[in-house]
Amino acid sequence: MGEEDRNNSSKRLLVVGLIWLVATVLAVIAVAAIQWHPFAASREAEITDDAFDLLLLFAAPVFTFVLVVGGYTLVRDRDRGTGADGAPIRTNRLFIGTWVVITTALSVLIVITPGFTGLDELRAEPEPDLIIDVRAERWNWAYTYAESGVETQGTLMLPIDRRILFRISSTDVIHSFWIPAFRIKKDAVPGQITTTMVTAEVLGSFDNQDEMRVQCAELCGVGHARMFTGVTVVEQAEFDAWLAAAGG
Amino acid sequence: MTIVRGAIGGVAGYILGAALLMSIRAAAGSRAWEVESVTAGAWLFALTGWLLGVGVWRYWARPWFGKKEQVYTTTGWRRYFDFDTDHKVIGIQYLVSFLALFFMAGLFAMVMRYELMGVGEDVLDADQYNSLMSLHGTMMVFVAVAATVGAFGNYVVPIMIGADDMAYPKLNALSFWLVPPVLVALTASFFSGGYDTGWTGYAPLSVQSDVGGLFFNLAFFTLGLSSIVGALNIIVTVVTMRAQGMTWFRLPIFVWSIFITSILSLIFTQFIGLAMLMVVLDRTAGTIFFDPASGGEPLLYQHVFWFYSHPAVYIMILPAFGITLEIVSHFTRKPLFAYKWAVGGLLGIMGMSSVVWAHHMFTSGMAEALRKPFLASTEMISIPTGFIFLSALGTLWMGKIRYTVPMLFALGVLFNFLIGGITGVFLADVPVDIQLQDTYFVVAHFHYVILGGGIFGLFAAIYYWFPKMTGRMMNDRLGKLHFWWMMIGFNATFLPMFSLGLQGMNRRIADYTPDLADANRAVSMGGFFLGTSFVVFLYNFLKSWARGPVAPSNPWGARTLEWQIPSPPPHENFEVPPVVLADPYGYGEPDSIHADLGVTQSESIEEGVEA
Ligand SMILES: [Cu+2]
Ligand SMILES: [Cu+2]
Repeated sequence: MGEEDRNNSSKRLLVVGLIWLVATVLAVIAVAAIQWHPFAASREAEITDDAFDLLLLFAAPVFTFVLVVGGYTLVRDRDRGTGADGAPIRTNRLFIGTWVVITTALSVLIVITPGFTGLDELRAEPEPDLIIDVRAERWNWAYTYAESGVETQGTLMLPIDRRILFRISSTDVIHSFWIPAFRIKKDAVPGQITTTMVTAEVLGSFDNQDEMRVQCAELCGVGHARMFTGVTVVEQAEFDAWLAAAGG
Repeated sequence: MTIVRGAIGGVAGYILGAALLMSIRAAAGSRAWEVESVTAGAWLFALTGWLLGVGVWRYWARPWFGKKEQVYTTTGWRRYFDFDTDHKVIGIQYLVSFLALFFMAGLFAMVMRYELMGVGEDVLDADQYNSLMSLHGTMMVFVAVAATVGAFGNYVVPIMIGADDMAYPKLNALSFWLVPPVLVALTASFFSGGYDTGWTGYAPLSVQSDVGGLFFNLAFFTLGLSSIVGALNIIVTVVTMRAQGMTWFRLPIFVWSIFITSILSLIFTQFIGLAMLMVVLDRTAGTIFFDPASGGEPLLYQHVFWFYSHPAVYIMILPAFGITLEIVSHFTRKPLFAYKWAVGGLLGIMGMSSVVWAHHMFTSGMAEALRKPFLASTEMISIPTGFIFLSALGTLWMGKIRYTVPMLFALGVLFNFLIGGITGVFLADVPVDIQLQDTYFVVAHFHYVILGGGIFGLFAAIYYWFPKMTGRMMNDRLGKLHFWWMMIGFNATFLPMFSLGLQGMNRRIADYTPDLADANRAVSMGGFFLGTSFVVFLYNFLKSWARGPVAPSNPWGARTLEWQIPSPPPHENFEVPPVVLADPYGYGEPDSIHADLGVTQSESIEEGVEA
């Protein structure tokens, strides 16, 4: 490589580096400005949404790197009818080495956080205040409040700020117990009892928030799309009154 | 007529099998005719009859009885309807069959998007929607698994390694002739009311589905047979048939990608066969693999299914990686950057792909302890996948880039897969996946990987090798029009789907809540735009094949072996076996020669292309 080529080459790297920096800053601003998540109403939703946001932050420089380096060379290095060959660069230790180290480090980082840390947070506080048995069958949901034995169908009533354990079962095929506003989902598997926990932190109901619903998320036949019911979160006192009225 | 003989054999086989099973059933005291049990068993007889009819009798069975094998000697277009053993004929048979399946499945998608344009049931009821959705998914998975390997693995790989054919030409034909029964089973499924389980066919729903579900099981099982036979053949071919001097690290990267894909196919396809077989047995033979009431285990199905179906994602995408790197090198006129790292990336993906399957099951109710290991292994697979991008970017850098149609599609693969890959990192993160699993975020993600990566790769390959395969050039302007139309349509369709998933639209639903209506209408519009782009392709493809300008032997000025022989190549490919001297990427290296083809061969190229 001649002196001129080398200068040329370092100038390119500088330009690409600058564009990448600017693009990354813009991407991070965009990522922060966009509202990615729908209505959130639980402790679990915070953990999940935070994990998503952190991953966006990690993804931004990677995404812009490929686009900027690729885009720059696609514009600058187009053949203008010369028919000539490009520079026979088969390898570059520094570039490859940096790439391997950074992508490996980033992958390990992502596994640790938000991966493992998020999972650990979700699993913290395992002691429930309230246990609800959820039974899925084609194509509706039935709930039994374990302590009081009250059985209901239709809207799922929950008290705010209580640790709730769902014990989920199915009487026919696989369904999935999903509450979008809570960011929890667990399959209902026939012959098995699966569990998931949640703490609701916001009052609300399906009437004013579409995400406040129990939605079946695993294809279960012809009624699958309509297999959902509302979720209502109320204060403890209101919940107790409701439960008593329901026969508890 | 091969197909008629095969059909007679198939029908005769079915009748024989059915009669046999019915007499056994009658003798055992149960009702003689029960459509599922009888059909499942008779299918194997029908398959045998079909294969005997199309060629097994002539090629294999006659010699067993001391007779001479009867070789087909058809010429011209009729060869494509015969049990022809020329790898080039088989490649084109695969290409045309799977393109037809692709367009059929695409039409189904158009109908689905029409239904989803508004809230409520418009043209389809929920059952019809589920069936159409399931068939769309199944057919597209079949296309993605088999089209590129079948078409270009067969046509190009033997030539690229300097061989005159595959290692087992007759077995090669057999693997293709297992495909028509797959199409028959899919058709039978469609006309018997389809099935409502999606392509994943989870038990116990699939055990309970109508007879259309049985045909789905049989179709997948049969395609699996074809894949295994084809993969074995490609592996043996690459190991044993390489030309003198074609060492492992001189192999074109496309050959590496097909070779590694075939290893994945050979190892893992048997598990989908197993999953399908277990469902069929549960349906027809009274086994209880997935019946919890009798002690069966529904989650077992998912483990077996994904043990194949995750590696299958790589069976779909690795050939596209290979094509992309191949094309990027030839059209930047630069050596493939970091060749060994690219090969290492492919090998790394192969090695890791067997230990990530349960990332599809984070919310399934499997043991909590499995979540962390599968989260970790899945995130780690992005390291070898990154090597593909390392190689591609390094090759583009300071190249002399030529914007041909294949090059545009290769760049499309890189762009689309970048989005597909990064969103995969999100889905592998368990907390995020708990929310996004089974939503449109997943639908968008795998369409970016499989359609945006795999199928864009397929079209890159079609535009790239069309001149070699047909001896004619495709129209460049129409090709570019197709690319931009498809690229814009694709992103307009699937980018908004990420947002739909985040908003809380779950997948596989015939209807949705009203707040999602606007975004769905936009997605449908994008979908129709994407769909119409293929009209341009079909027009260009068919017209160029019939009347396009005659292609020279090497229209792209590429250095791999297939471009050094006439278009289309003669039956034996090379007049004398080539001797390989270096890898095919020596662009810009003054004295680099890929291969010595012998004197007579270079003369035949100068004489023209009539061969
Ligand atoms: Cu359901
Ligand atoms: Cu997977």
